[in-house]
Parts: sequence; C-alpha cells; structure tokens
Amino acid sequence: MFRDDASHGADLPLAGCRVIEHSRTVAAAYAGRLLAAMGAKVVMLEPPAGSALRTAPPLLHGTGHSALFASLACGKDSLVCDLSLPEGRRMLEQELANADIFIDDTPLREREARGLDREAITASFPALVHVSVRPFGASGPKADWDGEEVNLLHAGGEGFLLPNGLCYELFPDRPPLKIYGHFSEYQGGSMAAFAALAALWAAPEAGGQYVDVSVQDAVLAVGAFALQRFGDGSLEHRSTRHFRYGGVFEARGGYVELLTLEDRQWSALLELLGRPAWAEDHTLQDPLERSRRGDEINHHVREWMIAHDVDDIVRWAQELGVPAAKYRTPAEVIAGEHERSRGLFAPLMLDENTQAEALVAPFQFRCTPLQAAGRVPALGEMTREPPS
Amino acid sequence: MKAPLAGVRLADFTIHAAGPFCTQLLAQLGAECIKIESKARLDAFRKPHAVYGRLSAATFDQVSVNKLSVRLNLKQPEAIALAKRLISISDVTTESFRAGVMQRLGLGFEGLRAVKPDVILVSLSSCGQSGPDSHFAGYAPLFGAWGGLGWMTGYTDGPPVEMRHVMDHSAGIHAAVATMAALHQRRRTGRAQHVDVAAREVASAMIGDALILASLGITPARPGNRHLSMAPHGVYPTRQPDRWLTLAVRNDAEWLALARELDQPAASSDPRFATAAARLQHSEELDTLLSQWLGACEADATAERLQRAGICAHVSWSMLDIASDPHLKMRGATTEVSAPGIPTRSAVGAPARFSKTDRVGIKRLTPRLGQDEEYVFGELLGLSAVQRADLESREVIA
Repeated sequence: MFRDDASHGADLPLAGCRVIEHSRTVAAAYAGRLLAAMGAKVVMLEPPAGSALRTAPPLLHGTGHSALFASLACGKDSLVCDLSLPEGRRMLEQELANADIFIDDTPLREREARGLDREAITASFPALVHVSVRPFGASGPKADWDGEEVNLLHAGGEGFLLPNGLCYELFPDRPPLKIYGHFSEYQGGSMAAFAALAALWAAPEAGGQYVDVSVQDAVLAVGAFALQRFGDGSLEHRSTRHFRYGGVFEARGGYVELLTLEDRQWSALLELLGRPAWAEDHTLQDPLERSRRGDEINHHVREWMIAHDVDDIVRWAQELGVPAAKYRTPAEVIAGEHERSRGLFAPLMLDENTQAEALVAPFQFRCTPLQAAGRVPALGEMTREPPS
Repeated sequence: MKAPLAGVRLADFTIHAAGPFCTQLLAQLGAECIKIESKARLDAFRKPHAVYGRLSAATFDQVSVNKLSVRLNLKQPEAIALAKRLISISDVTTESFRAGVMQRLGLGFEGLRAVKPDVILVSLSSCGQSGPDSHFAGYAPLFGAWGGLGWMTGYTDGPPVEMRHVMDHSAGIHAAVATMAALHQRRRTGRAQHVDVAAREVASAMIGDALILASLGITPARPGNRHLSMAPHGVYPTRQPDRWLTLAVRNDAEWLALARELDQPAASSDPRFATAAARLQHSEELDTLLSQWLGACEADATAERLQRAGICAHVSWSMLDIASDPHLKMRGATTEVSAPGIPTRSAVGAPARFSKTDRVGIKRLTPRLGQDEEYVFGELLGLSAVQRADLESREVIA
C-alpha cells in the first residue's frame, strides 16, 4: 500500500509510508516531523551545506547545535542532494520515484530551475502526493510574498490580538506581541501533515495530486472565532479581548491561569476563596452581573492570589473543581510528574556526547505506542549511489 | 473530483472547541460527520457565554459546518445502545470529555471494540487519558499554562500570556492529523486504535526547542518580539494609529535593501549595523530607529514595497483586513456564507487546496439541533417514524 515496505517501526500508524522532505522553513519541517513521529520514513534532502534550520536559534553554547533543528529533525534521515546540479536533480527523481509524499517549501520562483515545479513533478510522478507549504500558499496574488513567523502570526490575524488580559493591562502602549517561537509555522505544518494524509487517503481512487498549504491560512483557521465575531459585528482588539473575570494572576512563587465558565465553577471558586464577604452579594449569582462587574471581581481575586502560594492554589482549585493551572516553566514541564507518567519525553542524542530530552509526539496511539526517535540525523548520513 | 475524505463517516461526541474543530476539518475535507448532542446537556458552545461579555452563542458556527446533528440523551441506556449502533457503522468515533467519562457512559474503548473490532476512537482532552492529572478539567488558556507555551510567551519583563482559542484549534488540527494516521493504519492492518490527544501536550510541542534546552539545564529566556538571530525583527508603529508593521530581516542583503527602501543611506554604512551580529548587539537602537523611520510611513504601501524588495514585511491585520483580502478569498481560505436570518459574512473555508479532490470547504452551515435524525436514525439505522416517535416520547432521543 505504501512505498516503503521495510520493517521501519512495522506496528506504527504510518509504517511503510515514505516521505521526502525538502525544507528550509519550520512549517515544512514540522509537517515531516509529525509524520516521522507516527512511523513514516522521512528523508530530508539537504543542500551540501545542510538545511538552514541546522543553524537556526536557539543554539547550544559550545556545540552550536540548534535546539530548534533537533526538535524538528529527530526521527528523520538526512540525504545530501544538491539541486543546483544535474546529478542532484537526478537523485531527487530517484527519491521521488519511491516516495508516497513529497513536502517542499521552495519559493515558487526558484522551483523550476531545481526540478521542483508542480507540472514537472505531476508529469513524472502521477502517484505522488506533492505538498507545497509556503508562507502565503502557492496560489493567489500574494503567493510570491515571503514571511517569517512574526509576519505570519500577524498576517493571519492572531498577532493583532496579543497580548491580552494582564499583560496588556500592564503594557498598553507597547507593540503587539508574538507567541513564543514558531506557533504559526506549527499550525501550517500540522495542516500540511493533515492535508498530505488526506490526499494519500484518496490516492487509491484519485492517484497523486498537488496540495497547496499556506501558513497564513492555517493561522486564520485556528483564529476562526475572531472572524466569526467580526461577522457578528464585533471587531476584536487586544485591549478588549479578555475574559471579564479570570485570566492570569500573580501568586506567591508564580502565576496562575483561572477560568470559570460555568455556574458550578463560580461557586467552587468562591469556596476556594474562602467564601469572602464581598461575594455574599446575591446579585453575583447572575453570570451577566458577574460579567459586568468583572474588574471588581478580578480585583478581589488578585488580592487573594498574591497572598497564597501558587502550588497550593492550583492544588486546592483542582480539588474543588475550579479550572486553574500554574504557568509552568519549560523545566517544570520536562520534570512534570504527569508528563513522566505519560512518557511524553524521551532521550535524544544531539551528537555522540550530548544527550538531551525531547518530546516524543503531541499525540499518543494507545494500541501501538509511538517510539522515541533517539537521535538527530547528521548531515548526509544516508548515502546513495549517484544515479547513472 | 469529490473531496478526499468522501466516504469516511464520523460519530462525533466532541463538545466545545478543540474536538469540534478537529471534526470540522475532517468534514471540510468530505467526511460525513454526525454530531451527537442532547438538549439535556447542550454543547456549551451552543449557549451564550457571559464570561466573554456577550449574550449570543457566537462561536459555534466556526466549528460546526458540514456536520449533521442528531439528539441522544446519553443518560438513557437505550440511547447508549443507539450510540453504539452509530459507532459500529462509522469509521471514526471522536470525543472530548474528561478522561473516564466515555467509560462511565458505557462507551469506553474496549466496549466499543466489542461492537466494532476495528474501531478508531479519538479522545481529545485537556490532559490525556492517563497520568495523575488526567481528571483535570481545562480550557485553552489552561492548556497553554500547563504546557509551557504561556510561560514562554510575553515581554521579557512582563508576566506570562494567556493563549486563547488558537490553542483549542491547534489541538484540533493535531487530533485531525492523528485521526488520518489511524485511518491509514486501519486500512493497512485492519486494527483498532485509540488515539489520545492531550491539548496541553500540543502546547508543549509548540515549545519543543525550549524543552530541549531545559532538559540540558539551560533556562530559556522569554524573548518577546525579539529573535535570536535576526535584527531588525519585530512589530513597529507606522504613521497610522494602531496600524503596525511586522518586519523580519534575515541577512545583510535584506538589511541593505531595507535601508535603501526606507531611504536611509547612512544606516547602510553604519558599522553598528553592518553584520547580523552587530545588528543583534545594537537591536535596541535599531528598534528605536525603525520606529522613527516607519513612523513616517503608510503601513500597507510600505509592506508591499518591502516585499517587492525581498524583505519579509506584513501589516498586523485585524479581522477587517482579513475579511476583505482578495488573496485569502481567491484561495478559498475565507468564503462568504449566508443563511436565513444570518446576513452574509466571511467564514474560514477549506484548510488546503487540492488539485484533484477539490470539492472541499463549507457545503452546509451549522445544523439545527437534531435536524438530521430522519437520515441518521431513519435511513442509516433503519428506525421507523413510529419507533423514533416512541424514543422521543421517552426522552431517549432528546
């Protein structure tokens, strides 16, 4: 059914699926990463100097390893393939002939010279699912536009809406704020993996096809509620996009997120706060009245939070059924008892001497557990006989 | 040609945002999604949310297109039996209750496997199906907090920042990816699968690089809008109030092009900005200068000019910009919808463009509660009108 019938993780969901990834952006690399985590054989075609992502920050001092690249490339293979040379293009053809999915993020204007244009690939590999992942897609008037994460988060509408809540209250005059890292590109990448697998699902009937994924589209898709609200006549803005009460609270030793949407959660919150006198006002039984007096409620909650230890608060809150969570640092996430129990992290060799830990996958398959990748591929570790 | 997932059927028990967005994605690519709901316990997203400061249920439509709706009161044993029959004729069953709820309803994975040996059950929850926190309830901002993404997001000197609906929807896309993989696995092996997606772990995947650093004992900094290798990089004011320009300069050539486009010849020869390392070192001065220069510019025209010069620039767009953008419209990323009582409005369309299986996107809008029971209970399950009326009178279908 798939092209790669070798025994690569034979039990895994995508065992036997062969993916060729030609990436320079986080979006395309993340698509490949998700497929690799589920058992696909993913081969990165890298230029002789290596993928640009190999030197993308954050870097480890000393070794110069990119933590970003390590998080994206674990579980993949690396094959050096110089598409500026005829033999490199022949190698590409050889690889695509044996692949189910090809993921490429080359800018449109550079594709033809490298043998990567849609028409040529469709003609030569009619059974291949060819997925283009570009910042603004491969069609439409802005297909030639380029964008990095900061541009794309704002092009998709979410950037304009951040920060909100406490952070906005503290710094109302600062420019809008991006989400950490490569959030937009992860959305584009996961959408590309989804679309690739959907096209592959249709392949027995439809054959191969070309799939055009845009990071901007993906950001908009995850921010769809703001578009819905716009249709309702309300233009969201970071200054007003906050929960009427709840949100981020400073506690002793950290920050708490608190959100009570249901009446029973509100009652539980009052229990958590020790049934304070201000809450005896019976008009606060009405959720609309609470909404109107959100600032006042938050003022009281803030006073209480800052006087209590963050870990106590979230423990009591969860016992009482109040949705609350600690803002955990990466170190706390890595060491988290829950994460450990679920096997979320596994050792990852960055090179022969450096062992880190990395997330196995953001989903689990309980009947056939995913396997940790274990290592980051060295540049060009796979070798191929030069095609004749 | 028809949609890529035509012929795939989902029995969809998900509620709120994350799970329904997963099944909406599958439905936008052609899967037949049967949403099982109940008047007795209405999806919170069909109800008004006072905490958001509004009275109407404004968010339901963006997670409900293309779906069919039936009612089943899952507190009734007969409803559970009907749910199992629906599951047995579906390819995938999806749910987003707290861990353990499906089990208590009599719809746990092993039980479903007994009625459908190759069942694919997709469970999307805040904390997953196992582990000490698996019983925790949560919403999108909590996923971001638990997963570490909230901590890493913020101004360097400020508090962590709340993730909003995007976190729900991101979990939904990841669940859709995993659902597709499980379908492929079943096609190949004929085996059942239980997919377990924890939204907080999706949030953790968004800080994969920071987690690797943390595992090595390094404390990753909260960078705000700064980038560790690009400068200038950030969000800058323009001549128009609250009309910001985002900018990312990746290398020396782009820096020189920027200086040229902004007519700043002195900057292009300033040694403080000659190399990437120098620009990073002087990034604060650079940001001050950029704010001055761009403060005299018209945002949209500048973005276009910079893009033509090969520089990554884009205006910080509100939904007003997005709803009227011809590029997004041409791609089908936005599409106009209307219905009786609902004026024409912009909605998010197909998640990707397919060259062959192109019948993707919005085909029908949010279903009324229970509107598809004649097809689902009548045609698919073979219940007569009399049987259905009886089940309704006894509040099994309710």
